[in-house]
Amino acid sequence: MNNLTNQLMTKNLLKIDYEKYSHPNGLQVILYPDLSIPVVAVNLWYRVGSANERNSKTGFAHLFEHMMFQGSQNVPKEGHFKFIQEAGGSLNGSTSFDRTNYYETVPANYLELALWLEADRMGFMLPGLNQEKLDNQKDVVMNERRQRYENQPYGLAWEKLFSNLFSQDHPYSWPTIGWMDDIAKFELDDVRKFFEKYYSPSNASLVIGGNFDKSNAKDLIEKYFGEIKETAAIPEIETSLQSLSESKKIIYEDNVQLPRIYLAWHTVKAFHEQDAVLDLLSDILTSSKNSRLHKSLVFEKQIAQDISSFQYSGNLDGSFIIASTAKPGITLEKIKDEITKSIHELISNGITENELLKAKNNIKSAYIFSLQKIDLITDHINHYNFYLNEPDSFLFDLSRYEQVTREQIIDTAQKFLTKPNVELNIIPKKM
Amino acid sequence: MIMLDRSIIPIPTKELLFNIPEIKFLKLVNNIDISFVHKENLPIVYAEIIVFSGSRFDPADKKGLGYLTSLLIDEGAGEYDALQLSEEFEKLGSVFSVSADHDTIILSILSLTENFERSLELISKIALKPRFEEKDFQREKKKVLDRILQLKDEPSFIASSAFERRVFGDSYYGFPEIGFAESIARISNVDVKDFFARTFTSTNAKIVAVGNLNETEIIRLFNKYFNEWTSSSDNYQYFETPKRKATSFYFIHKSDSAQSEIRVGHISKKRNTNDFIPTRIMNTILGGQFSSRINSNLREKRGFTYGANSSFHYYKEAGLFEILTAVNIENTGEAIIEILKELNGIREYISDDEINFAKSYLIKQFPSRFETSNQIANNLESLLIHALPLEELINYTNKVKSVTNEEVKTSAINNVLPNELVIVAVGERKKVFEQLKKIPGAEPIELDLYGNLLT
Repeated sequence: MNNLTNQLMTKNLLKIDYEKYSHPNGLQVILYPDLSIPVVAVNLWYRVGSANERNSKTGFAHLFEHMMFQGSQNVPKEGHFKFIQEAGGSLNGSTSFDRTNYYETVPANYLELALWLEADRMGFMLPGLNQEKLDNQKDVVMNERRQRYENQPYGLAWEKLFSNLFSQDHPYSWPTIGWMDDIAKFELDDVRKFFEKYYSPSNASLVIGGNFDKSNAKDLIEKYFGEIKETAAIPEIETSLQSLSESKKIIYEDNVQLPRIYLAWHTVKAFHEQDAVLDLLSDILTSSKNSRLHKSLVFEKQIAQDISSFQYSGNLDGSFIIASTAKPGITLEKIKDEITKSIHELISNGITENELLKAKNNIKSAYIFSLQKIDLITDHINHYNFYLNEPDSFLFDLSRYEQVTREQIIDTAQKFLTKPNVELNIIPKKM
Repeated sequence: MIMLDRSIIPIPTKELLFNIPEIKFLKLVNNIDISFVHKENLPIVYAEIIVFSGSRFDPADKKGLGYLTSLLIDEGAGEYDALQLSEEFEKLGSVFSVSADHDTIILSILSLTENFERSLELISKIALKPRFEEKDFQREKKKVLDRILQLKDEPSFIASSAFERRVFGDSYYGFPEIGFAESIARISNVDVKDFFARTFTSTNAKIVAVGNLNETEIIRLFNKYFNEWTSSSDNYQYFETPKRKATSFYFIHKSDSAQSEIRVGHISKKRNTNDFIPTRIMNTILGGQFSSRINSNLREKRGFTYGANSSFHYYKEAGLFEILTAVNIENTGEAIIEILKELNGIREYISDDEINFAKSYLIKQFPSRFETSNQIANNLESLLIHALPLEELINYTNKVKSVTNEEVKTSAINNVLPNELVIVAVGERKKVFEQLKKIPGAEPIELDLYGNLLT
């Protein structure tokens, strides 16, 4: 372990002093007081995301997240925003493949308000529901889909990639926002069933972080969440093993001036042994001016306008993606050849100790910088609890990167990036 | 078991007191002002060098010069070429960045405390000894030209830049910082060097530092690496405030749009106006947060959009009032009509409840603006850019409290001007243009992608 990690350990920066327990109704609670700040963050994860959907019903977990802001038995439509903002707090929710989260950060004296609001929609959402609200939020979500994806250059790239990388029955094959036709068709009954199945306290974990008193918080949690009944356990999602027997190439015409290439490979799920290795590999390939692909394609040869890569990993599976925009007059074939050449060179000639060290330092500092905000810390805690069943995994997470060797980087690149892939070309529309 | 009465809204029993962190105003030996806040909880230092440079100094035929200069200052400095310099930062894990807008170029660094000195040494080379080599100039210039090409694909950028062009006319806030293909083509590396020499001077610079170092140490480090910076220049650049005109409707065609981008607004007062706080309260009600009138109407009532907001943005020499949204094609005309209704509505009536809500929101969220080093620095940066006294921060909550309801209502009358608007819609002509024509009083005028009148 190097100097920085030592320093962090001695100062106990990454050792969080938390308490975790479960309510009789199954709700997991994690308390992390930090009295040095004036606010308290409430962060709630439900173990449901778009991976729990099925074909023809895509996008529902996300639409449902919107419905959770439409009021409940004792909270009017938009009330959630109104109450929290009047208290000077901030709030939102988000949906991914694997989970849905809801969070609010409020001044320390408003903890009870946040818990009251979260409990009302966890336990008593359905009495607040009506057709008008659902129709309204379907319109809002369809506009979200247009604004964030359809009306953006290259905006449909991700769904084109994932629907080709994963087989049609795999839940990562459709986008979290859902297909437009599916969003348009949802009915009130879908909301009721989804709520009853997935929004049980036994399917949720509640993290409170920041300025609060632990025993008071426990009393409040008992008061507001104690009587909410749990529903039947949710069966695990069953998926087939994903692999490509041969490479696929998809060409899509879009409103773009410059063509862009995406290459995607199957890799490993979150926190798998090679997950951190792939993060470091991505850093070595594209994170900085001196990273291999950036230096070669953008800086020296100047054939690409930009290049990026990432290991995207979830609960069920993962994928490594490289994306690059060609300069005017440069073919995507040329870009692809250079990327392939660079990867082969890395595999045959290895990487330097310096390259690896820079990548590790980069990941470590970004990690420490993120600890400045209590809402991010509480979300991290829920993240670790979700994937590792251990909230205090900050040091473990960093050590995953610390231990990676040069050989592992090469082996991992060899293992995944030489296999068949999905190649997506987004090209300018023909006039 | 007695069931809990959940209709009772929990109300806090105690008030929270909040004081902003102590801010020190110091000077370096070469007279540069430095504002410093000591922050202990993490081994991190954030610092920024604010230079009153920016694209307002662009020559009329070389729009984009300031922005291009900002891209080039860290492409090699002192003994390091572009890659070596980047390599030095990468070794440290420090996040160095340059940002440029109309009024400033800002060099910022977020670093672990143990790497701060070395990071600062590198920044001093960038601020004092940039190389400006021809090959780097050619590469970055080409990158900007290709980026400008790409921006033709981005409806949100097209709408915003055309809107600002119509609002600010030929004044320097009327042009995008990145410039235009023709103006970039005219720029040489000599222009970049001149621009740098002319604007990037020590008399034009202010420093903000926040983090886990003490005052003596911060001053010692900045003096050590910046004492040679003793250039001077006049940072004044005349701004001729454009006159508002009668409300005009503009349209820009973008084929195959999946939505329409809408901008509505006009030029407004500078940041130092004495009704700044009443205006902020008023805008909180109008469109400044999720449960505002505009978002509630366009999103939560009608479902026309994923979000709609209004803001008063403050440049150094002018303010900009802007409503921003993207709506589905079929409701483009109707969305504009609703926005106009809200602009008239806020002048006609504001309830006491709305004002109390907005005041509560602004007062109680104030402490959260001081959570990270970066946020603290942003607060100081805004004081420096607009030459405001520290009282602006210290007395902020008291000032919000003491605003009368009448002052909020007067602010709407004085600062929201429905008869002097610029309205821009970007979308698919064959589906949108007819809708615009049906808006009472509208005679839509078509613009090109850059906000110029189509002849």
